Amino acid sequence: MRLHFSRKLLGIPYAVFLAFFVIIPMLVILFYAFTDKEMHFSFGNFIQFFSDPTKLSTIVYSLVIAVITTAVCLAIAYPVAYILARSKMKKKFVILLLFVTPMWINFVLRVNAIRELLNWVGLLGEANYFNTIFGMVYDFLPFMILPLYTTMLKIDESLYEASADLGANSVTTFVRVTLPLSAPGIVSGITMVFLPSMTNYVVSDMLGNSKVTIIGKFIYEYFGSNWHMGSMVALILLIVVFLSTWLTGGFREDEPARGSSL
Amino acid sequence: MNAKRFGALTLATLSLAPTLLFASACSGDDTVTLRVFNWEEYIDEGGEGSYQYDYEVNPDGSAPPIVEDFEQWYEEVYGTPIRVEYSTFGTNEDMYNQIQLGDEYDLLCPSEYMIMKLAAEDYLQPYDESFFDVNDPHNYYIRNVSPYIKEMFESNRINKEDADDTSTWADYAAGYMWGVTGFTYNPAYIRDESVLRELGWDIMLEPAFKNKVTTKDNVRDSYFVALAICYRDEIESLDKTDPAYGEKLAEIMNRTDDETIRQVEAVMREMDENIYGYETDTGKADIVSGKIWLNFAWSGDAVYAMDLAEAGEDEDGNEDGESTLLNFFIPEECANLWFDGWVMPKGANRQAAQAFVNFLSRPDNAVRNMYYIGYSGVIAGEEVLTYIKDCYEVDPDSYESAEAYVEYDLSYFFGDTVEAGSAVFYADREQAEKRQLHAHYPTLEVTSRCAVMDYYGEEANEAINELWSRVKGETLDAWAIAVICVSVVLIIAAVLYAKFGNKFDLFRPRPKKGYHLVKQQSCKQ
Repeated sequence: MRLHFSRKLLGIPYAVFLAFFVIIPMLVILFYAFTDKEMHFSFGNFIQFFSDPTKLSTIVYSLVIAVITTAVCLAIAYPVAYILARSKMKKKFVILLLFVTPMWINFVLRVNAIRELLNWVGLLGEANYFNTIFGMVYDFLPFMILPLYTTMLKIDESLYEASADLGANSVTTFVRVTLPLSAPGIVSGITMVFLPSMTNYVVSDMLGNSKVTIIGKFIYEYFGSNWHMGSMVALILLIVVFLSTWLTGGFREDEPARGSSL
Repeated sequence: MNAKRFGALTLATLSLAPTLLFASACSGDDTVTLRVFNWEEYIDEGGEGSYQYDYEVNPDGSAPPIVEDFEQWYEEVYGTPIRVEYSTFGTNEDMYNQIQLGDEYDLLCPSEYMIMKLAAEDYLQPYDESFFDVNDPHNYYIRNVSPYIKEMFESNRINKEDADDTSTWADYAAGYMWGVTGFTYNPAYIRDESVLRELGWDIMLEPAFKNKVTTKDNVRDSYFVALAICYRDEIESLDKTDPAYGEKLAEIMNRTDDETIRQVEAVMREMDENIYGYETDTGKADIVSGKIWLNFAWSGDAVYAMDLAEAGEDEDGNEDGESTLLNFFIPEECANLWFDGWVMPKGANRQAAQAFVNFLSRPDNAVRNMYYIGYSGVIAGEEVLTYIKDCYEVDPDSYESAEAYVEYDLSYFFGDTVEAGSAVFYADREQAEKRQLHAHYPTLEVTSRCAVMDYYGEEANEAINELWSRVKGETLDAWAIAVICVSVVLIIAAVLYAKFGNKFDLFRPRPKKGYHLVKQQSCKQ
C-alpha cells in the first residue's frame, strides 16, 4: 500500500490531541459519574444529586449568578463595542486595548486588587453575592467585548446607509440591522462568559469569603473526597452549559464570527 | 480499587510520560533517586530568609537548600550519589489523589489522619528495625526525637478499624512538625482576653464578633470546632486529674454518630451566619490589615503571622506597614493536637528514605527547617533548646516587676535529650501566655487538654463531607426550586417553539421578516 500525502494527514496531530485530551477525559468523567465506590454501574450519584436540596439549590444559585453576570457584561459591553466599531476614531484600538489589557495581568493579582478595593469601600464581607458578581463582571468583560466588537466591525457601512435611504430611523436601524447582524457576537460572548461564571470559584472564594458556593467549588471539593459524585456534578454542569449554548444558537454553523476574535 | 486505578492510569501515564523518559535516560549510572512529596513551603529552601543566610553560618555566606545538603551528606556517609526529586502538594487530599493516580514516591509527609487512612488502605510500609537502633550515630531521628512525641506516636494505634492490627504510628511514621489549633487575635480590638477565655470556641458564634472572625475552609478543622461547641459542657465536666482524661477527651472529639452530626450541622450553620468567611490563606493578611479581629489558625501559621505583623512586613517580606502585635489564644476547654509525619509507601526505597528523615532530624537541620517555616519540629536535643532559648529566654534581672516574667517549663518535651533541668527557663510573661512562645511550644498544661483527630473511616468521612457540602452550599426553599425548575422548562419550551414551531406547521407559515432580506443581500456581496 502506498502512502499518499494528503492534506487530511495534517489533521492527525489535532485528532490525537482531541482524542487524548477531550474525548477520553470526557469518557472517564462519564464512567466515574455512573459508577459507585466498588466500580459497579450505578445511578446512585444521579439520584443523590437530584434528591439533595443543597445541590439543587447550589446549581440554581450558580445559574442565577452566571445569568446576572452575563447580562451585566452584555449590558456594559454592547454599547462599548457598538461605539468603538462605528466610531471614526483613528486610534480606537488603543481604547479597545484598554479594555483588553487587564486580561494580560495575572488573574490572582486582579482578584486580590478587587478584594482590597471592595474592602476599602466597605463591602467585603458585607455583600458577598454582590462582590462575587462584581468580580466576575470585571474579570470576564473582555470576553464579551472582543467578540461583539469584531462582529460589529464586519457589518457593512452601506447597510446602515441603505436602511437610512429606506426611511428607517435610528431605532429601527438598530433593531432591524445592527442587532440581528451582531447576534453571532452576542452568542459568542454569552458562551464565553456564562461557563466561567458558573465554575470560577476563585472569585467567589476571594470576594465572597468562601461563603458563596458555586457549582465549580462543589466539583473541586468532591474531587478531594468522592470522585464519583464530583464527576456527576461535572457532567450535570456540562449538560446545563450544553443546553444553554444550544438554546442560544451557539452551534449554528452559518455564523462566521464565532470564535474569530480569540 | 483496581478498576479505579486503571481508569485513572490512562491519564496518569500521559502526564507522566516525560518523567518516565527522563528517568530511563539517566538510569545508566548508579545514582539513587529519592522521590520526596511534601507540603508547599515546608522545608528549608535556602537563600534569603533561611537560617544559614540570616546567621551567616557558612564562611562563604552561601545558604543552600537543605535538600542539596542532604545529597552531599548522603554521598559522604553511604558512598552512593543520590538525587532528590522533590515535589510538593497543597492539601492532604491532593496528595492522596496523586498517590491514587499511580504517582510513586519514596517519602510522603501527610497529617496524622491521612497517615491513618493510608495505613488503613494498606499503602504504607513500616520503618525497618535499623531505623530504631540508637547506637547508629546516623540515626538522628531516634536519638533526638522528643520523648513526648515518641510517646504520642507509640501510644496511638494506626489502624483503629482493624482490632487485630496493634501497630502504632511509630511503626509507620516518623514525626516532622506538630502543633495545636487556636485563634490569632488582634489585641487592638480585643483588649480583654478574659472575654475570650469565657467564650472558648463559642467565639465563632459570639454576636459581638459578627463578621470579625474566620475559620478554615476545610471540613475537619471546622468540624472539630463545632464538636467542641456542641459538647462543651461534657468536656468541661471531665476531671483533668483523671488518668483517663486524655482518652475521654479524645473519644468526645472523635464522635461521628448520626446524632452528633445533626447537632454539629446546627452549630455549623450558626457559625456560617456569624463568621466573616472561610479562608485557606487570606487570614494572615486580613488580621494584620484589621479586616478581621480573630482568625482560626494552626500554631505554626500563627507564629508566622505574629512575626510578620510585628515586623510590619507583608508576606513577601516587604516592610510596608506599621508593626502590629498579634496574640495567640488556645481555648481552655480543648484544642486540636496535630502532627505531620514522614511515611513510606510500599515499594519505596526504604534505606534512602530513612536516611532523609534522619538527616532532617539532625538537630541543627531541625532548627533550620523550623526557622524557615515557623512550625515546631518534633526533634528535641541541646541545639533545639538553645535555639528556643535564644528566641525566648529573658534575664529576670532586667525586669522591674516579678509579674512580667514567668518560669517556662518544657521538660515534658525535651525529657532526657537535654541536661536535667535545663529545659526550664525564664520567659517574658506576654510571650509565655499569649504570644509566639505560647504558640510555638505550648506547655504540658496546654497540650494535655488537646485531642488528636483520627481518621474517621470511609463511611463517617463521607457523612461529614456531605454535612460540609450542606453547610457550605446554598439553601433554597423547595417551592423556590420548583418555581425555578418550572420556569427553566418553560423557557426551554418557548425557545424550542420559536426555533422549530414553524416546522410543526401548527400555525400558518409566517412571511419572512424584512431583516432576513437584508441579511441575504449582505451574503451576496
